[in-house]
Amino acid sequence: MTNTSRRNPMELMDRYLQAVRFWLPKSQHDLALELAEDLHSQVEAKAAELGRPLDEGEVSAILKECGRPVVVAGRLRPQDYLIGPMIFPAYRFILKMTLLWMMLPIFVFVVGPVHFATTGSLGAAIGSTIGAMWTGGFLAAGIITMVFVVIERTQSKLRVADKWDPRSLPPLEKPERKASGGKTACELIFNLMALAWLLLVPYKPFLILGPAASFLNAGPMWHTFYAPVLLLTVASILRLIVILVRPDWVRFPVWSKLLQTVLSLVVVNYMINAAGQTAGAAWHPFVLAAQGGEQAVKIAAVVNVSILVSLVCTWIGLFIAAVVQTWQAVRSFTRKESFTPGSASLHVF
Amino acid sequence: MRNTVCAVHYMANGKQSGPEPFENLKLELRRGCLVVAVLGQLRKEQYGYTLRKALADDGLEIDESTLYPLLRRLESQGLLISQWREQDKRNKRFYRLSQVGEGILTQLLEEWQRINASLEKILQEA
Repeated sequence: MTNTSRRNPMELMDRYLQAVRFWLPKSQHDLALELAEDLHSQVEAKAAELGRPLDEGEVSAILKECGRPVVVAGRLRPQDYLIGPMIFPAYRFILKMTLLWMMLPIFVFVVGPVHFATTGSLGAAIGSTIGAMWTGGFLAAGIITMVFVVIERTQSKLRVADKWDPRSLPPLEKPERKASGGKTACELIFNLMALAWLLLVPYKPFLILGPAASFLNAGPMWHTFYAPVLLLTVASILRLIVILVRPDWVRFPVWSKLLQTVLSLVVVNYMINAAGQTAGAAWHPFVLAAQGGEQAVKIAAVVNVSILVSLVCTWIGLFIAAVVQTWQAVRSFTRKESFTPGSASLHVF
Repeated sequence: MRNTVCAVHYMANGKQSGPEPFENLKLELRRGCLVVAVLGQLRKEQYGYTLRKALADDGLEIDESTLYPLLRRLESQGLLISQWREQDKRNKRFYRLSQVGEGILTQLLEEWQRINASLEKILQEA
């Protein structure tokens, strides 16, 4: 006989019932009494069948059959929840919208670049952005959860479920359309012209500077950024060709456009940062005065400021475009089969 | 305990929780019958353990943590009457069908007959 089987086997039962009671509210303790009676009856029935008292192992087997105390208590107690099934879909939607489609883009496209601009270190910027995103995410999720808990507790009293009008439902979504071939072809021609222009600019500065090309030269930072700008244009051309060749890839235009916008945003961001890091006294990041004296230097300064302002405006435009395109891309990804009145019978059957 | 009816297996969103779709569908089918079976058994007064045993002997096993909340729910709906009494030196809670419960059981059995007849008809047609 082992040590365990020498102990009073019914003590194991008491320990089990104590553990079940721990997880039950006081108002449900009579259920624990019924459970206790049931288990005692099972032990008695088994003992009568064997013709002897049960040992600890046999009592243990009965308890194990009944289930883990926390699980049994969970089944015994009435179902309770913070956010019920009626408003849970709305809770999940709001949470997803806030965390993924609002906070994430803000942190990636605004907070991250700001941290990078202030710290000057990519690693430190990523670290601090993730930290801030984590804290902000938890805070937002906590507030949303609390609001929905309040709604859950009050909606049955306010009878929100009954107060709705079918006429207030949103209109039917339009089916996803394939990209227009004519529009894409025009964009392709425009991009090809832009590529040709970009390739010619190093040899013909007149194309970008006009008459000022006689006394202004491109600044050294173009050596760094000319290639990325060129590559972005080539990528845009390839994207448009793919759209023309495969019009059935309905999600490609939206997602590739988003990727292109984000890459453009990164390049513009680096250009603005590089311009900001140029020494103050001789601030000529984009164009230099090659000749013409003091007047040319003044013109170069005005041109440099104009280009910088243009780049900042471009950055803002690209950022807004990125947010809008992210929304469009997500909608195209999450949108299910288009529902039209004519297809209703198919859905029903 | 493979056939034991256990409420925790059901998920609110209708997704299957286990690996076997048949087991889940079977449990779902049996769950509806369980209330009728319990009400039917309690035309005669019984306490929890003997009720479970009687159900199991008739082929409908049910575990403790499913039966007692169900009894509580049926009692709160006025279908059952319960009373704590001492028997064999132990306190036991005895349940029996109330008058309301008898009426509901009759209605449920009629409904059961209708469903059964419909199912037989559907299956014969197939």
